[in-house]
Amino acid sequence: MAAVLSVEGVSKRFATSEGPVHALDNVSFAVRSGEFVSLIGPSGCGKSTLFNVIGGLVGGYDGRVAVGGETVKGPHRAIGMVFQEESAFPWRTTLENVAFPLETAGMAKAERLARARDLVKLVGLEGFENRYPHEMSGGMRQRSSLARTLAFSPQLLLMDEPFAALDEQTRLLLGDKILQIQQQLKQTTLLITHNIAEAVQLSDRVLVMTYRPGRIKRAIEIDLPRPRSSAVLGSDAFGRYVAAVWQDLREEARLGLSESEASLGNRP
Amino acid sequence: MAERSSSKVGARARARRGNFAPVSLLRVAAILLLWALWEGAARSGWFYEGALPSSFAIASSGFHLLAQPDFYVNLGVTLFEIAAAVAIGSVLGISVGLALGASRFAGKAFEPYVQYLAPAPKIIFLPVFMVLLGVDSSSKIAIGALSCFFPMALSVAAGVRQIDPVLLRVGRSFRLTPSQTIAKIYLPALTAPIATGLRLGLGVAIIGTLLSELQMSNSGLGFLIMQDYGRFDIAEMYAVLAMVFLLAALANGLIARGLRIKGR
Amino acid sequence: MASRDGASPGFAQRAAPILAGLLTLAALALLWQAACRAGYINKFVAPAPLDIARSFPHLFAEENLAGRFFQTFAETFLSAGLAVAVGIPLGWLLHHKKLAGLAFESWVGGLAAAPLVLAYPLFLVLFGRNTATIVAMSFLSGLPAMVLKTKEGLDGTKRVLVNVGLSFGLKPATLFRKILLPAAMPSIANGVRLALIFALINVVGVEFLINFGGLGELIDGLAQRWELPSMFGAILFVILTSVFFFWATGRVEKWFHPHG
Repeated sequence: MAAVLSVEGVSKRFATSEGPVHALDNVSFAVRSGEFVSLIGPSGCGKSTLFNVIGGLVGGYDGRVAVGGETVKGPHRAIGMVFQEESAFPWRTTLENVAFPLETAGMAKAERLARARDLVKLVGLEGFENRYPHEMSGGMRQRSSLARTLAFSPQLLLMDEPFAALDEQTRLLLGDKILQIQQQLKQTTLLITHNIAEAVQLSDRVLVMTYRPGRIKRAIEIDLPRPRSSAVLGSDAFGRYVAAVWQDLREEARLGLSESEASLGNRP
Repeated sequence: MAERSSSKVGARARARRGNFAPVSLLRVAAILLLWALWEGAARSGWFYEGALPSSFAIASSGFHLLAQPDFYVNLGVTLFEIAAAVAIGSVLGISVGLALGASRFAGKAFEPYVQYLAPAPKIIFLPVFMVLLGVDSSSKIAIGALSCFFPMALSVAAGVRQIDPVLLRVGRSFRLTPSQTIAKIYLPALTAPIATGLRLGLGVAIIGTLLSELQMSNSGLGFLIMQDYGRFDIAEMYAVLAMVFLLAALANGLIARGLRIKGR
Repeated sequence: MASRDGASPGFAQRAAPILAGLLTLAALALLWQAACRAGYINKFVAPAPLDIARSFPHLFAEENLAGRFFQTFAETFLSAGLAVAVGIPLGWLLHHKKLAGLAFESWVGGLAAAPLVLAYPLFLVLFGRNTATIVAMSFLSGLPAMVLKTKEGLDGTKRVLVNVGLSFGLKPATLFRKILLPAAMPSIANGVRLALIFALINVVGVEFLINFGGLGELIDGLAQRWELPSMFGAILFVILTSVFFFWATGRVEKWFHPHG
């Protein structure tokens, strides 16, 4: 199976007021067509930097990122990004939000509204086409952002902790929705998260990152049957996978915690 | 120790980012450019003779002016009028503000009228005051005080409503008299709104007083300006105006500094 | 604050203070009228309310109150229009060129605080006793607010919205048109309202000071002729129309951001 996303030896350093920061160190992995891969790591491991690198929003790094064989040099049509923060445009209705990329690409009005309606139905927001973001819940807003990102059927769906701001139950239900969509579209997906259960629930493979400088510590194949739903949370296999991920993640998380505690201790 | 080092790091970072110098350079460049444009326009002949004098003419007029005792007499008049206006306007403003803020009913009943009248240019009431108080400083002070009253009253009213009701209950539990309550609870809690009201009030008091001086034209810096207008001594008129603006900026800056020292 | 039994004690609660205020005003007016009648108040200093009220037909008929109203508001819209036309691009410039923004934002704030109206003799010399002076001064009074609000709106656009645009590969011009501008619209609308309000206040004031124009000139003229009831009538008219203007512009501004 061809690799849709290929990350090769990516290293990134920042200059900050506290001195240089080595955010990513020789990160390499691939995501195959139709795969759902989660990237999990402690806070401060460079996940968001990697997200921006892959998405083409950030440059100045060593190594190479390729999508569908093409090197990523800037924001790429083939990559659809879903951001952590609320990103629905407050001045547009759901339908207008979803139609946004189609509109800027010059698609005719009737055509783009029809496509937008399909996408709205896909994410389960039928009936809310003419609502504004402030009239909808956080989960619904993230769903409309997701629909917007899928407008051009990107080869790679790249998500950065899109459920971070939502409560647990909404998160689980949304996870179901994502699974359903992904399985329906065979969408190649890379999800960046800090939530272990979410990573195991949704993915075919979980990549565990080390604390700064971020490296891929281990890849864990998730062999839970497909099609899946949140019901899988109760199974023994699920529990074992979560434990396996946590075992690798724990010492990285501890490193991150002790460093932040140390810096807190320095302040008056 | 860590606090010192982190602020030093911040300063070093700022200097490294070169933030400080380019901004100052740009400002200096802008001032020079504006000055050049001014001088160019002054000599161009676009404006009729003397309407836009060269900055050198204005400066020399200014220096000449500063050497005359007449100037200081008028300056004194203006400063006195402004001070009196601010004092009267503030006292009235604070009193009315307290009343409007303390009673929710009174506030809802009467504050809208204060808000409606606040934006009106108070100078239009000058003729009435001239008849009531005479054609001298008292009318000008009245306009200045009237101007200063409104922002102070509104600022204090809003400030009173922000006071934590718990503090008032504490006062009542100690059975404080109304004047004690005002002195010991309201006023200390109102230093910030009063300072804000003072800043705004001073600004409009300066405007009101000076406009009155310009209209009545018998004493003060406004009178000097009108005198220059009448004699077509435009260079000196610019000089006096510049000093008035400087005065306003200084007053504003002083209060702002006072606010910052208080607020910390 | 809806009432439980469906009748409206809530409404009564809200109406009571407003009524109290109006009644107090009416009572004061009655007292004033009585005092004038009895000769306690000199009607050549403070005319009786009834006389003020009776001046309105005269104001409309002989003093062309309606025409002056339109003149004043025409000057207001012209001044504010210029402030908007110049202020929005300037505000954008201060946003787009970070260095310029850092250097000059405080200057614009200083301009806003400066008592420009005091320089009216200067404007008289430069432009003459005409509409140009009025419009020039009112334009300058509204300009800083427009510039600062535009910059504030553009600066305040959430970074993630810009990133969404970048992730779709939008060009800078499209990014500005489709994301920055709509995001900044509430602030810009507020700036336009402020420009209108400052312009109106300045127009009336300068008209009074230079004795030229619409409503401000009327007030000054009536004062000079010592027609006090008409003068107070005109002042009252100005206050009422400006209150309505502030309310109306507030409503229009809200129309620009119903979606928070």
